[in-house]
Amino acid sequence: MNIQLVGMSHRTAPVEVRERLALSDEAAGEMARTLVRSDAIHEALVLSTCNRVEFLASAQREALRPEVDRCVRTSLAGLDLGADAFYSYDGRGAVRHVFRVASSLDSMVIGEPQILGQVKDAYQRAKDAGTVGSSLDRIVAHAVHVARRVRNETEIGKMAVSVSYVAVELARKIFGDLEGLSVLLIGAGEMAEAAAQHLRGAGATHLHVTNRTFASAQRVASAFRAEAVEFNQLLEMLQHVDIVLSSTGAPGYILTKRTALGVIAARRNRPIFLVDIAVPRDIDPEINQVDNMFVYDIDDLQQVAAANMKHRRHEAEAAERIVEAEVETILHRMRAHSAAPAIQALNERFEEIRRGELERYGSKLHGLSAEQRAAVEAVTHGILNKVAHHPIREVKRCAADPRAKVTVEDIQRIFGID
Amino acid sequence: MDTYGIALLRAALVLYSLGLLDSLYTVVKQQRQLFRPALYAFVAGAFLHLLSLALDSWHSGRLPVQTLQQLSSMAAFFMTAAFLAAYARFKYDSLAVFVFPPVFLLTLAGALGGAAPSASRPLLQWWISIHAGLFLLGYAALFLTCVTGLMYLIQERELKAKRPRAFYYRLPPLGKLDEIGHRALAGAFALITLGLIAASIWAFAKWGPNWVVDPTIALAFLTWGILFVMVLGRLAAGWRGRKGAYLSIAGFGCAALTWVVNSGAHTFMGR
Repeated sequence: MNIQLVGMSHRTAPVEVRERLALSDEAAGEMARTLVRSDAIHEALVLSTCNRVEFLASAQREALRPEVDRCVRTSLAGLDLGADAFYSYDGRGAVRHVFRVASSLDSMVIGEPQILGQVKDAYQRAKDAGTVGSSLDRIVAHAVHVARRVRNETEIGKMAVSVSYVAVELARKIFGDLEGLSVLLIGAGEMAEAAAQHLRGAGATHLHVTNRTFASAQRVASAFRAEAVEFNQLLEMLQHVDIVLSSTGAPGYILTKRTALGVIAARRNRPIFLVDIAVPRDIDPEINQVDNMFVYDIDDLQQVAAANMKHRRHEAEAAERIVEAEVETILHRMRAHSAAPAIQALNERFEEIRRGELERYGSKLHGLSAEQRAAVEAVTHGILNKVAHHPIREVKRCAADPRAKVTVEDIQRIFGID
Repeated sequence: MDTYGIALLRAALVLYSLGLLDSLYTVVKQQRQLFRPALYAFVAGAFLHLLSLALDSWHSGRLPVQTLQQLSSMAAFFMTAAFLAAYARFKYDSLAVFVFPPVFLLTLAGALGGAAPSASRPLLQWWISIHAGLFLLGYAALFLTCVTGLMYLIQERELKAKRPRAFYYRLPPLGKLDEIGHRALAGAFALITLGLIAASIWAFAKWGPNWVVDPTIALAFLTWGILFVMVLGRLAAGWRGRKGAYLSIAGFGCAALTWVVNSGAHTFMGR
């Protein structure tokens, strides 16, 4: 049996192809059941997300691809996927691909956290459908372990890559813990509101909203369970809040450097993070030069998001090394595990010989006392253990070493094991 | 120094060298694969270092702060202890990059002297050892303040520049650096104040008013003055951020100068 994978993802197929093959949970389960009905396929698992559809199986050599083609043709009649839409891996390549997918190294946004949950769900569905056994069990369990290692030992998923989350990440870099911090939302706008929501989710407890039109402030405040504040209280609020999200339609700056100097003095240098999402900008960028005041406009946020993406790609290199080492570990374990039936057969063969010989001499041993009989048993066992020791060690070694000149099958043949 | 004590100290030095290697690797390669083993080695090194100091104290009958080498070794141990306490609380491994090298160098300075008979120079009584011990602990806390100040300046520059580079990802948030620095400063101020009071009373009783003109004493008072201004400035005027970081570095610089000009005993003590 050999591990094989056939799949299609955002790397090989455009969305118009992927959306036609996207499988519901039930369809994925049914597809796995259909695959294992084939004699050549022992275990199968189907992973279907918006960016990929993959079929993982423990099957006879090169058996999966034609079966998948047949399944897809049968269940999606008339669908022309094109010759290059699918990729196939087997053995080491298949295991590596599963580990890379679970670790989010093959995702459209590298490091996104959803894929691991999707892999676990697909595995659970296949388990419920009864289409996975010990081989895929071991691979998926190890893939989850690898994904966790990658997440813990690299920073692949730590830095935000969407602009509204970048604001939260920067706030964390400035304040550390966001628990108990207060946020002021000036004006209204989709991105500012999303950032305010994320900040609240990250622990910021007090949210205030102000607007030139107080009714608008009240409307936004009620949607966010926040407190509406009159616009003429803006300066006073700036002395107390920690994070400001500004998104007004004002034609010029609503906060100048001169005013900001007064604000920071009144705050006794407590840091303040000013996020200016408005175009034209609301906050004078010169304020960024003031000690303990940090100003980011929309371009700055995008610049940080781009740098974070680059950082993720850099971290992905370290993640690839982890994946490679783990592929080696699992393959070694699987090879060692594959020796278990051969070792069992070898032991059974030796025991069969021993029993046969004892039976052959049964009449001559008949007169022995219980004690003498036990001694004969112990002596024959001892001889067999010593004889079997070396071949068993060789079976283990040959199984674990793919470059070994003598195969497990050779050893089995020598000892007459089928 | 006790023969076994110096052997233990050298073993600790070998373990600390892994920390030095981690710092260099981090700076050159921008990767922290060595941190975990270096941290475990550092903890084991600290344990051996403590044993070495305990053996020395037992052998000589007083705290091993009699010679410059012993002072270096003790300072290194206190810095290690301060770092491990801060790491246990905040879990910021980037602190280690700044702590591992000076700890290694100070331990190296302490271990270079070799074993020496304990009765060679019984200069200081037990309680003046406490004065030295308090000062060393205070300096270790001040060192931590300086490290966090330095890290603050780097991280603040990254945040102001708005172009994240390696330091942005590796260094702790400004708020946390400020918190660690502030706590370490409060500790340093308390310890150095106590050390200074103890030494002043004793010196006045023994040598009269002349001891004040000793240059290292004047420098020690200057260090204390800077610390006092830092603590007061923080509490009364809200000095923090860049200004606070610069002051932390200046405070430690002054303390380091006091250390350099102090060869283990003051000039007036020979009179």
